[in-house]
Amino acid sequence: MPEITILKRPREEAVITQRMFFKKTARGKVIKVLRERYLRDDISCGVDGCRVCDASAQTVLSRSGDTTHKNFPTGHYILPDTNVFLAQMDLIESNYFTPPIIILQTVMEEVRHRSLPLYSRLKALTTTDELKVWVFYNEFRSETAIVRENDETPNDRNDRGIRKAAEWYNAHLKLAHPPIRGQPNLAPPKVVLITDDFANRQKADKEKIPCISVRNYVDGMKNSDQLLDLLSATGSDEVEPTRAVAGRTALYADYLPMSTLLAGVKAGQLHQGHFNANQYNYLEGTVPVPAFTKPVLLVGRENMNRAVQGDVVVVEVFDEREWKAPTDEVIDQEATLKNDDAEDSEEEGDDLMVHEHESKALRAEHTKKAPTEKQPTGRVVGIIKRNWRAYVCHIDSTSLTSSNATSLGLQTVFATPVSRLLPRIRLRTRQAPSLVGNKILVTIDRWEITSRYPEGHFVRTLGKAESKEAEQESLLLEFEVPYRPFGKAILDCLPPEGEQWVVPPKSAAIPEWRDRTDLRDLIICSIDPPGCQDIDDALHARRLTNGNIEAGVHIADVSHFVHPETAMDSEAAARGSTVYLVDKRIDMLPALLGTNLCSLRPHVERLAFSVIWEMTVDAEIVDVRFTKSVIASKAAFEYGEAQLRKDDPNLNDKLTQSIRLLNSLAQKLKAKRMAAGALNLASPEVKIHLDSSESSDPVDVEQKALHETNSLVEEFMLLANTSVAEKTQGSFPQTSVLRRHLPPPPTNFEKLQDILQKRKGLKLDVSSSGALADSLDKCLDPKEPAFNTLVRIMATRCMLSAEYFSSGSVSRDTFGHYGLASPIYTHFTSPIRRYADVLVHRQLAAAIGYTPLHPSLHSKMHVERIMEVVNRRHRMAQMAGRASVEFYVGLALKGRNEREKEVTEDAFVIRTFRNGLGVFVSKLGLEGLVMFKRDTQFDAENYTISVPSSDIGQPDVTISVFDKVTVRIEVEKDKNTQRGRVKMTLVSPVDSRAL
Amino acid sequence: MASISKAEKAYVQSSLLSNPPLRADGRGLIDFRTIALESGIAPIANGSARVSIGTNAQDGGGGTEVVAAAKLEVESVGDGEGVDGGRVVCSVSCSPTAYPLLSPNALDDLQHDMTSVLNATLSHPTIRPKNLCILPGRKSWLLNLDVIVFSDAGNIFDAIFMAARAALWDTKVPRTKSVQYRAKKSDRSDATQAMDMDVDETAHVGSALDTRQTIEVADFELPDYWDEGEPLNGRQAWPVCLTLNLLPALHFLDATLQEEASVPLKLLVFYSFLSDATPLLRGMRLLGTGVSDLVQVNSLLKDGEKYARNVWLALEGKLKDEDLRRNQKARERFLNR
Repeated sequence: MPEITILKRPREEAVITQRMFFKKTARGKVIKVLRERYLRDDISCGVDGCRVCDASAQTVLSRSGDTTHKNFPTGHYILPDTNVFLAQMDLIESNYFTPPIIILQTVMEEVRHRSLPLYSRLKALTTTDELKVWVFYNEFRSETAIVRENDETPNDRNDRGIRKAAEWYNAHLKLAHPPIRGQPNLAPPKVVLITDDFANRQKADKEKIPCISVRNYVDGMKNSDQLLDLLSATGSDEVEPTRAVAGRTALYADYLPMSTLLAGVKAGQLHQGHFNANQYNYLEGTVPVPAFTKPVLLVGRENMNRAVQGDVVVVEVFDEREWKAPTDEVIDQEATLKNDDAEDSEEEGDDLMVHEHESKALRAEHTKKAPTEKQPTGRVVGIIKRNWRAYVCHIDSTSLTSSNATSLGLQTVFATPVSRLLPRIRLRTRQAPSLVGNKILVTIDRWEITSRYPEGHFVRTLGKAESKEAEQESLLLEFEVPYRPFGKAILDCLPPEGEQWVVPPKSAAIPEWRDRTDLRDLIICSIDPPGCQDIDDALHARRLTNGNIEAGVHIADVSHFVHPETAMDSEAAARGSTVYLVDKRIDMLPALLGTNLCSLRPHVERLAFSVIWEMTVDAEIVDVRFTKSVIASKAAFEYGEAQLRKDDPNLNDKLTQSIRLLNSLAQKLKAKRMAAGALNLASPEVKIHLDSSESSDPVDVEQKALHETNSLVEEFMLLANTSVAEKTQGSFPQTSVLRRHLPPPPTNFEKLQDILQKRKGLKLDVSSSGALADSLDKCLDPKEPAFNTLVRIMATRCMLSAEYFSSGSVSRDTFGHYGLASPIYTHFTSPIRRYADVLVHRQLAAAIGYTPLHPSLHSKMHVERIMEVVNRRHRMAQMAGRASVEFYVGLALKGRNEREKEVTEDAFVIRTFRNGLGVFVSKLGLEGLVMFKRDTQFDAENYTISVPSSDIGQPDVTISVFDKVTVRIEVEKDKNTQRGRVKMTLVSPVDSRAL
Repeated sequence: MASISKAEKAYVQSSLLSNPPLRADGRGLIDFRTIALESGIAPIANGSARVSIGTNAQDGGGGTEVVAAAKLEVESVGDGEGVDGGRVVCSVSCSPTAYPLLSPNALDDLQHDMTSVLNATLSHPTIRPKNLCILPGRKSWLLNLDVIVFSDAGNIFDAIFMAARAALWDTKVPRTKSVQYRAKKSDRSDATQAMDMDVDETAHVGSALDTRQTIEVADFELPDYWDEGEPLNGRQAWPVCLTLNLLPALHFLDATLQEEASVPLKLLVFYSFLSDATPLLRGMRLLGTGVSDLVQVNSLLKDGEKYARNVWLALEGKLKDEDLRRNQKARERFLNR
């Protein structure tokens, strides 16, 4: 046991012992904050076998340091300055970067102050096993602690602290390596200060502290080739003075200082929001701000002013007479900027050419526009927060200088991000030729006002483009899905019995059985999609003696295994939900729980959380109770299987009767829901057939079949969720986890209403969800049965997305779920794959008095924070799933193209552009773009375009929104980016290849 | 405050009037007891000081003890109580242990009396520090000066004012920087497309004629979070108080409680001595049941000025010492550990 002593200091030493700073609160108050500082002499240096420090202290750094660097043959440790972590995190994180690192507390704090994401990466770094990292609390060790001098800037103070620590370390190592008699006098290893701050290096030189710049350090390393590429552009300023920086003209306006931005936003003169790039037109973006109902439009590169998708920006809105309408033309970055050269894109002449090109593309649009379509227009004047991360890209092969296509020289190339929302990134690399055709990860470092494109650096390669592994990983990265395997700390939270875990025999003394209802004799079954391994719900129904029906929903009792504030819990909270890709599932919880212990498999006893209703035959709820239980499912059906069983008149066993009973109740429940105004929405859902589980080559795509039993399960899950929501909200009005769907603002439907009115003469009543449901039912085209589904899909896109929230955070009258027409709703039924459900389970368990509620779930702030993460993850998971389907649809199409020579499908027109059509292929759930090479007669008011007929002499053919056309679908490999993309051309009514 | 009997009163008065005058502790008429001062005693405040008069050197007991602390607060001008240019609000509160014989009501009255004397002198607009203003017309500092009387062994007003002056001397105002946003018309014309030239031109004419374009200062920021800030502007001007205890035909300084109870009249004078100007009388008060006339007061003011200057000089020297002790010397000690 270490002896803990507290030094009581006299007040005279306040300057040293107290660290004081001011804080300005959000409400504009200034608060003085004082921190006590106790200096100690027993903070270890972390070097193995150090004879000066306490021998019992934990050590990480090897005694001789790293001896492989050519500048430091006697061994060394590196002590990086803050700027190294701020600018070169990818380098430090690289597997090739192996020297032992000493991280100072001063540096940690500075990094935290400057960038939280980088700070969490740094924290992660200190806990990895592969790297030798020692965190030295220099501000607390009495020899290295420093006091700020009068008139010293905070930055200078920290630099001085870092130098002081480096100096101390070197002196300390000398003491730790005294010359031993009889042995050659070996010099002790050095502690090398690494910094890109020139002034700091100068001062360090003066104080005889070994120091070096990052680039020079990496140059001397044994695997410098791989590492030099990882150097971020920020650090390379001083070594590349070749380009005449001053001579370049600024392409963008400077950002206003942060304080000015905040002041402007506060005063209402500027507006803050997230920047959304337009995926059809790279020269246009929008920023939704609270002050206007329509988002602020940004037209052109200058006005978008270096904003990248997802950044939090501040915009200035122009006078109303300068407002514009969004374009209706597709402007493709690759097409417009095809000839832009990465090396020379700074040159004047080229500049003008590109500029002309772009402004022509823009001007054509904005001249003649109906004033009604105009929306607030403005420009970006500053960035509050960059949301840059690593992006999946391809190297643009044309940007390689042809002469050195095989050399390993440093060259500047363009990387085109997979996402259409991002600009091209310029990066310098030595490995360019070997990267062509690969998917690579690129990080943006900076975007200067003189540079048309952001500059970035190469992080790592994911593999060959279009290989499944690379595509899968790139998908996960692109949607920020955490996909690392679960760590040891998390797996340690699982029951030690592992796969052998069973429900212990019934006995009052056993904790598992405390307050649990024994439902093992009930005829319970589960109905799930084919191939489902994580069965989290099961059902039963039986007639009671009083004529009523008892129906029960049994949900896997995940909260029995996942306890609050464990490693597993926090990991699940961070993952938010399980992500389903076509050929892979990224679990939220370790597989042992998901597919075994919590999976309600048939014929085994499992712990469950049951909701049991007593209903009348007309599905009126008489009573509901919630209980923890033990069940033994009697069967696990697939939807189709259950359907067959229900419809088979020869079967009359208890299980079948139970299903029939459930089904009759479900139909009545559904009818009631529809009567209350629930929407029947549609989204394109397709299923990918895989050849076999090994090859996972998609064979075909088909639309998902819907059985009656799908709706059976759905109805009971909805009912369970609603009942649980009422219960938890009653018990915890401030913090219960609920889910809501806000009614969409009527303006969202304006365009769809207009199209329907003009094209089909149909009216869409959006005054309430019930009215919308009714009018959607009336949107019928007798000739075209699929038309209704199409309208439903389009209507769905006009709506807001549902979200989780904490009941105390919003007002009571906004709790409602618009789509389900339910006043209150939550998610309770899938705790294996959704984290929100785990929280609801905990709250319900507390509401029925099974366990006390964990204090964190009493905190509104805490719940709100989790909800934010879960909402984001939920959205990302959906998008990743969809993108995965899209990729496989692409692969399937490629296969079909090879077999059938030409693939044609029926499609609906959903959008018209001046130079193209947006079409939707319902059979494949695929949306695509048909582009025309030349302009057509475009009637924006009536959503029609006229194209010349393919037969000469015939009148022009008019195509309008909702028209059914036939398209030819090809998968072509983009020459520049190696990106496989679906290309659609019109077959009928006109063959567009001629256009 | 101490209530003493008539006999005691007569005894004290006659000893003071005897020749040579006699005081219980052997001091001369214009001698002070020992004064101790320490500044920066409340780290969370923006400035603070403790003053004790006549504290027993052996056990630290007895004597008058007063603590003053200044705290700055941001106020908005216009919609709240704030005054453009900032304001100073003083208050004095007495610990009940300082006056164990007083009822709570009487204590309240006493606090109120003391507060009104201090507030009337220190919150006067003529000595308001210039740097209490953050954003003209929008934000300013409110300086709350709170004085607590821990014990009273006589001469409380001198102690209160000394502590107040030391605390204000010690007060540092965090440095602020105003931030503003102004739409720049000329700047925007570069960014807009060339196609709306005509629109642009009208905009230019408009801005040239527009004289109303005022600088819109919206908010402020703290440029350096670690810096305590700068001292109050004109901190030399904070006055000292000197109490002249008047017994007909003579006056004496730094009265003990018994002496205070024995005199019919006290004259408080508030002086500040700026190095380059004539002494400035910031105010005066007559307290007590006795009467005086203009001729007497006039001569008393002259004497008062003389004594006050001595107090001022002593205080000035000590405050500078304190600054040194708390900064430079503390650092040196830290370096030479």
